[in-house]
Amino acid sequence: MNNSARAIEVRDITKIYRTGAVEVPALRGVSFAIEHGEYVAIMGPSGSGKSTLMNLIGCLDRVTSGSYLLDGVDVSSLDDDALAEIRLKKLGFVFQGFNLLARTDAIRNVALPLFYAGVPSRERNTAALERLAEVGLADRATHKPTELSGGQQQRVAIARALVNNPAVLLADEPTGNLDTQTSDDIMRLFGELNAGGRTIIMVTHNEEVAAHARRVIRLRDGLIVADDRSPSALPVS
Amino acid sequence: MYVGEALRVLIENKIRTLLTITGLIIGVGAVIAIQVLGSGMSGAVEGVLGGFADNSFFVQPNPSQGDFLKAAIHLRDLDQVRRQVPNISDAVPLSIVREMARSGHTHARSTVFSTSAHRYAKEPFQYGSNLTQSDVDTSAAVCLISHAAYEKLFPSGGDPVGESLHIGTHRYMIRGVLQPPRAGILNPNQGGDVSLPYTTFDRDFLHGEPMLLAVFYVADVSQIADTETATVKALRAIHRNAADIQYITFDRKQIAGFITGFFDTLTLIVGLIGAVSLVVAGIGIMNIMLVSVTERTREIGVRKAIGARRGQILAQFFIEALVLCGIGCGIGLALGLAIGFAVNELALVKLSGTVSAIPWLQATLVAVTFATVVTLAFGTYPALRAARLDPIEALRYE
Repeated sequence: MNNSARAIEVRDITKIYRTGAVEVPALRGVSFAIEHGEYVAIMGPSGSGKSTLMNLIGCLDRVTSGSYLLDGVDVSSLDDDALAEIRLKKLGFVFQGFNLLARTDAIRNVALPLFYAGVPSRERNTAALERLAEVGLADRATHKPTELSGGQQQRVAIARALVNNPAVLLADEPTGNLDTQTSDDIMRLFGELNAGGRTIIMVTHNEEVAAHARRVIRLRDGLIVADDRSPSALPVS
Repeated sequence: MYVGEALRVLIENKIRTLLTITGLIIGVGAVIAIQVLGSGMSGAVEGVLGGFADNSFFVQPNPSQGDFLKAAIHLRDLDQVRRQVPNISDAVPLSIVREMARSGHTHARSTVFSTSAHRYAKEPFQYGSNLTQSDVDTSAAVCLISHAAYEKLFPSGGDPVGESLHIGTHRYMIRGVLQPPRAGILNPNQGGDVSLPYTTFDRDFLHGEPMLLAVFYVADVSQIADTETATVKALRAIHRNAADIQYITFDRKQIAGFITGFFDTLTLIVGLIGAVSLVVAGIGIMNIMLVSVTERTREIGVRKAIGARRGQILAQFFIEALVLCGIGCGIGLALGLAIGFAVNELALVKLSGTVSAIPWLQATLVAVTFATVVTLAFGTYPALRAARLDPIEALRYE
């Protein structure tokens, strides 16, 4: 982690999709910065550009114009393999549908990013087991995703997102597939992680979920319409 | 990791995996079997014809001509041919009768061959010795018996040389007992039960009737084709050059050529089956890998989002194809080697009586290399397709 730089800094970024001759602007000039250790929710109705913004922040896509610095590195014009490297080293993804590998047990799911980073097998397992313990699933290491509940699967996914010690944890509707009780558990875990210094950026359309964050960026029609810091957000439990 | 992952995927889809590698199994098996057979057969040709002296050729009336008997060859004709064709060193009639043989009170139905002094000259004898030229010249009442006939006619064993053997109404003195024959279908040692000097045979059984076929020996082997033509010409002259009289000749080279031609055709057919199977197997692998890539689009998206580079996705699917190939090759190898070994041991070695060197390692390498090249050639496109997937679209794939 580059401590002198901001976690995320986007300046006037746009994203335009071309379908044949038609140009569809998804983002029309967005600028903001996120410091290390922040806990941010990105909100907005469908079509507001929040998924596009998430893909750009997550280095899954490139901006049409503007600049994007992730942990002090300009990633706006990197090629596919360089972006993959950035995703591997600096970002951790948590998806709505968990997206664990079905045939693979929990510990190997968690260790997968380390495999792609070229970490030797023994170290991979040690690190993966540590992360599983952090999310409270050390005793489920050899279970396959089908043998775990939704909440447990999302915990495994969070452990996987953290295993490379990323600069930013990106979560896309992390509680979208979970019941209220389990959602609260996951939100509590996010709170703990943030309290421990993790930078978390979460896309959601659920106000209750967003209320757990300490800052909410609202998008509409490809532009930021509100950026509220709320020190009164729910306290970390 | 990649290999373990690939194995898990393949084991999870057992039937699909098995169907996919069937082509590979057949292909690899065929390619190996054909190489084993190919080298086994070239040894077999030598073995089959091992007893067929390359300085001899056979002549018989063409069995398909109108009046077969008009072209018949008699013992007296041979002397005439011998005088007219300079390259011929000897001419021996070959005829066969089935007769009851008796030794003491033991009877056995036997085949009786006419033979010359040098037919068994190089064969080992269990008892006694070979016929002599003077036996032939004097139409001596002597005979040789095969090992099988000896066991039938002398159940109590013992050296039968000098004892009497009755064939039909004739009586012969046993001159020798041949050792059991080597394997080989044209082995001279595998003649009939009883062999008589051809002069004796002519006197006692043919009574001047024509022989089955004539065996000619040549002095200069390189002239054998010309000698065959000259011999046929001489025989036709003896039969007054009648237009409808025809003879067929065959020598070792012709028979070898015939057998080799047969084996070559067989090799070509099985080789083609192998090659076609492997190409079809390659297409099958490509097909199933494309299905696999499509089915796992979302998984690929996740892997990419997590940070897998193109090369790492490529490697995953490449290795999956190679593991598939490896399983197919393994089974195909076992099958091909088993078939090759069985055919070689049970048929070729028995047939030829010789054990030829089989290039097992080379056969295996050729088949595995071919299969691997096919797999890589057809596995490239699906793997590239997986590697080039856009992570956002792949993650959205349902």
